[in-house]
Parts: sequence; C-alpha cells; structure tokens
Amino acid sequence: RMRFAGGGAAPLPPPPALPLPAALPAEVEETLKRIQAHKGVIGTIVVNAEGIPIRTTLDNSTTVQYAGLLHQLTMKARSTVRDIDPQNDLTFLRIRSKKHEIMVAPDKEYLLIVIQNPCE
Amino acid sequence: MAWEDGGFREADGGRSGAGLQASVLLESRPATACLSPAAGMFEDSAARGADVESLWRRDQGTRCEAKSCQTGEISTVEAAVQSHSSRDAGMQTNQSEETIQNLDLQKEAPVDYAGLLSFLQGVEDVVIKELNKNWRSHAFDGFEVNWVDQNETVSCLHSLSYPEAQDQKLQVTSISWNATGSVFACSYGRLTLFISAWSSHCLCSVDPLSSTGGLYSGEVLIWDMSRIEDPLIWRTGMTDDTHTEPVYQVNWLQDSKHSYHFQILSVSTDGKILVWQTQRDGQLMLVEGFALVAQQIPWSMKLKKRTRGETAVGVTSLSFSCFDPSVFIIGLEGGYSLKCSTAVETAAVPRTGNSVPLKAPAEFAFSPHGGPVYCVSCSPFHRNLFLSGGTDGHVHLHSMLQAQPLISLQLSKKYLFSVRWSPVRPLVFAAATGEGEVQLFDFGKSSQKPAVSIKQASAQTPVYCIEFNFKQPQLLAAGDASGMLKIWQLSSDFIQQGPREMNHLEQLANEVTD
Repeated sequence: RMRFAGGGAAPLPPPPALPLPAALPAEVEETLKRIQAHKGVIGTIVVNAEGIPIRTTLDNSTTVQYAGLLHQLTMKARSTVRDIDPQNDLTFLRIRSKKHEIMVAPDKEYLLIVIQNPCE
Repeated sequence: MAWEDGGFREADGGRSGAGLQASVLLESRPATACLSPAAGMFEDSAARGADVESLWRRDQGTRCEAKSCQTGEISTVEAAVQSHSSRDAGMQTNQSEETIQNLDLQKEAPVDYAGLLSFLQGVEDVVIKELNKNWRSHAFDGFEVNWVDQNETVSCLHSLSYPEAQDQKLQVTSISWNATGSVFACSYGRLTLFISAWSSHCLCSVDPLSSTGGLYSGEVLIWDMSRIEDPLIWRTGMTDDTHTEPVYQVNWLQDSKHSYHFQILSVSTDGKILVWQTQRDGQLMLVEGFALVAQQIPWSMKLKKRTRGETAVGVTSLSFSCFDPSVFIIGLEGGYSLKCSTAVETAAVPRTGNSVPLKAPAEFAFSPHGGPVYCVSCSPFHRNLFLSGGTDGHVHLHSMLQAQPLISLQLSKKYLFSVRWSPVRPLVFAAATGEGEVQLFDFGKSSQKPAVSIKQASAQTPVYCIEFNFKQPQLLAAGDASGMLKIWQLSSDFIQQGPREMNHLEQLANEVTD
C-alpha cells in the first residue's frame, strides 16, 4: 500500500518543542517502547541512511538481516513511486506475509521498521 | 576629355567629398547647317547638358578590398574495437562478523539524538495508527496465496520389495529415513503373534550412513552402510547387560557433553530402557539405564486399575519430547503411557545385576488404552501434546498436564501399529492400521474421520510402520505385512502450514480440565 502525498494539505501544526539535550536519549527510548508495547508487535528496528541499524529490540543477526534487506527494498519502492510520477514520493511501506506484517516508515535519514503479528 | 564636336572641357579632378564636380564649359563654335549663312549675328544654339559623375563609389572601391575565407578541411578517421574474450566474476560479501561489529560500533558512536527524536516523533502517530488498523482488520481472513503448483492427490511414488525377504514371507517391521532424507532403511522379520512377540529388527538411523537396530534376542547392533564386506561395526553381545526380551525400539541420542559422540537408546519389553555407548573394540557398553517396576510408577488417583509388586513392566515404544530433551514418553504393554525424565535420581527396585545402576524414570501415568500401547509420538509443535495408539484401535491425544486424553478417536476396528505426527503441519498425524490402510488425520478439518485414507494393501495385510521424511515432507514411507514398502507422495495441503494452525493447536492443548 502506498500513500500518495496530496497537494494543498491543511497547514501542519507547529513542531513540538524539543526537550533538553540531556533528556534526548531517554525520550528516544520511551518513544520506541511505546511502539514496541503495542498489540502484536514482535520487534522494532531503527536504521540509518546507510542501512546500519542503530536501535533494535531483536537479536543481532535477525536485526542485521532485516535492516539490510528492507533498506534495499525501501529504496527500490521509493524509486518505483518516483519513476511513475516524479512529483510523488513514498510515505509508507507494508509487506504482508503468511506469518506476520512488516511496516516501514521511511525518511531522509532514518528508517523505522516494525514487525507485527496480526493475530486474529 | 574631348567631346565629339571638338569642344573640350576642363575637368576638375581629385577633390574628395560628396560634392559634385561639375565642369561646364561654354563652347563657342560656329553654327552649322541649321542656320543660313546670311543670318548674321543671332543664332540658336543648344548647349549640351552637364554631367555630374559620382566619384564616391570609386573612392570606396579604392579603399576596400574584397576578401573571402574558408575553414581548413577537418580530418576524420574511423576506427572500431571488439573485445575478444570476456570473463564473469562474482563477489559476495560475508555477512557474518563485520556487520555485527558495525552494529556495536554504531551503538557507541554518537547518535544524532535530536534528529532521531524528531524523526520518531513524526512517524510515531502514523505507525501506531497502522498497527491498530492492522490488529482490527479482517481484510486478509482466509486469504491464501499459491506460490507453488498445488498437487491435489496422494499418489504412490515407489513400491519396493526385497526378493529374498519375500521368499521367506517376511514382513516389514520398521522403517527409518536417514538424516538427509535421501535414503531409508527397513527391517524385515516376522510377527508371529500380534501381542506377545515382535520379531527381528527395529531400526533407527541418523547418520547418512550408519544405522542401528535391535534384535529379537535383545541385542543392539550398529551397521555402517559404506562398508560393503561386513557392515556390522558394533554390537552389544550377550552380556548381563543386554535385554532379555525383544528390543522394540532404538533411538540415537546426542551426547550432551561431546556433540560428536552418539549414544543408542534401546527399549524392550523386559522393562528396561538402556543407553549404550560405542567402544573401540566393536562392543557397545552400557552407560546409563532405566528400569520400570510396577510399584515405582506413580499411578494417579483417577486410574482404577493398579498392578502391584515388583513385576517388570514391558515397554513397547518411546518418544522424546522435541522441546525438552530430558523428557520422554513411553508406552507400556499394560496399556498405559508414562511421562518420564532422564534427570531422575531414584534407583530402580530391585537391584538388578547390571554393571550400571538403573534408575526409575516414571513421573506421571496417563489413563490407559484398552490394550497394549504400540506407539507414542510427541508433537514437534507443542511441548505438551503427544499421541498414543494401541491394539484397541484408538488414538488418544494427550496433554502432558492431565491423565485423561484430550481427544480419543477410533481409527480402526483392528490394531493400530504406528502413529506419527507430520513434521510440517501441526494439526496432522498419520496412523498405520491393521486393515491395510494409512490414515491421515487433520484436527483442523474434522475431528471424527480421517482427511485421507490411503489403501496400502488388502484388508488382511496390516501396515506395520510409517515414517515421514523430514527433509522432503511430501514423502511418507509405509511398510506392510506382505513385505512391500511403499513411498507415498502427499498432496500439497499436507505440506504447507496453514495460517492459523498453531493457534488451533494451542487451543486444543489448552482444553485441559482441572
């Protein structure tokens, strides 16, 4: 599923004021914990622009595998969207498999990967 | 300049500018014919016009020069190039240690927390919204994709028989696949009476080339298939330690201390479960053992039948739990199944004359079948579930947490000789019946009748043994009393796990009543 960036969107709310530098790592961990605590989430990985994972809740080898493969796939998905329409860009990527669903939120510098087991 | 009439004029030349230069000259000449000579003084004359010549063009012409130019010729050359030979080379980076080190380095390197935090805060809402939607969504219920061609039927791939065995009218008593799934071995023998005496061999092989077997006489042997002359390499011999009754089952055990040493476990109706170790002189040495004596078995209060005394209890089958290697289930001649552990310390009573003291492993007894239990099988997908089948034709699905079975099915009016869980489908098992059929049962489809019933032989020829191939899960080997071995290829729905099978299995296992 790809979300299309629409023109003429409502004006964005002002960005929240950043906390003090000393509290930043704790804020990052808290945000990741909130996502990880959601129903069915198996793992959360944050990857930087080179495809190297910087935060993860899974074991090393699994993390490295997910990070490398999904980084490449996200770049390919993004170039697909932009080839079809150069004014468009990738906002979200979801892969559904037999066992679980992988969600990727891309950005210029980071990638957030969340793996969920949508148990019915 | 001279004019034609003889007059001459003065020309003023050499003066530049735009002005015209004119030179007018008055002429005087005598008049000619138009006048009469007698006219006298007045005469008509016509003065010629004056001409003005432009000189500027000529001046300009003297000052300018006409020139032209042409580029020099461009020289071109054509040349072509063709490579004569080419080579393909590939490269693959190793994923192992470097990337893991990178991960560690990155954790220590300063992460731009401000940027990371703003990114996370931006995507958090979107991601949580998608997670919630996904949790509640029914969009993919029952949606399945076929990536491989579906095979709808069960077919017989091979039908094998051993001519010498057929001459002696021997029956297939046991089958085993090797570890790579490419070879299987089967043992021939004869079942004289169904209840009391199994004969000949039972087999188990784990190494691609060596396999072990147990004899009717109680001995345990190991063969090495790569040796052509004398494949027998180890045997227990007839010592005080060997079984005194037929060996029903042998298993390979991996030694926890040295992973390359294997031990053999043998099960016999003399009530002993013995663990053997290979020695250098071709002898198998007893290292550990368990003995089952009636008074040491913990009968639960719900079981009505109790046997007393120090009588040995015959063990016919054994199955290790796939989740906990110290837990195993055994099936007894008396119809009971027992949960046992290798980690017990209590010694068996009475002290038999074995070189190694035997232990009493029984921990829990399950409710009995109506006849001897011939087969038990622990589920590879759930730590508490196991199946037991016996001569009453029933299959019981037990949870290790309670004595009563969770489900009891009658599959045959005759005996059940072998029960095996499928290695890929958590809800499927196969059973070999005395009516010559192999029945495949699926708890997900129907809990009353089998999903597929494969007719291996006539109704008088029981099927004695079945084994799934763990490496190629579509293959099922079955051997029967006529000495025929058939390899069946199963249809696609027996090969792939369905989306909610594990949940269904968990539900079945949780139906334990207190």
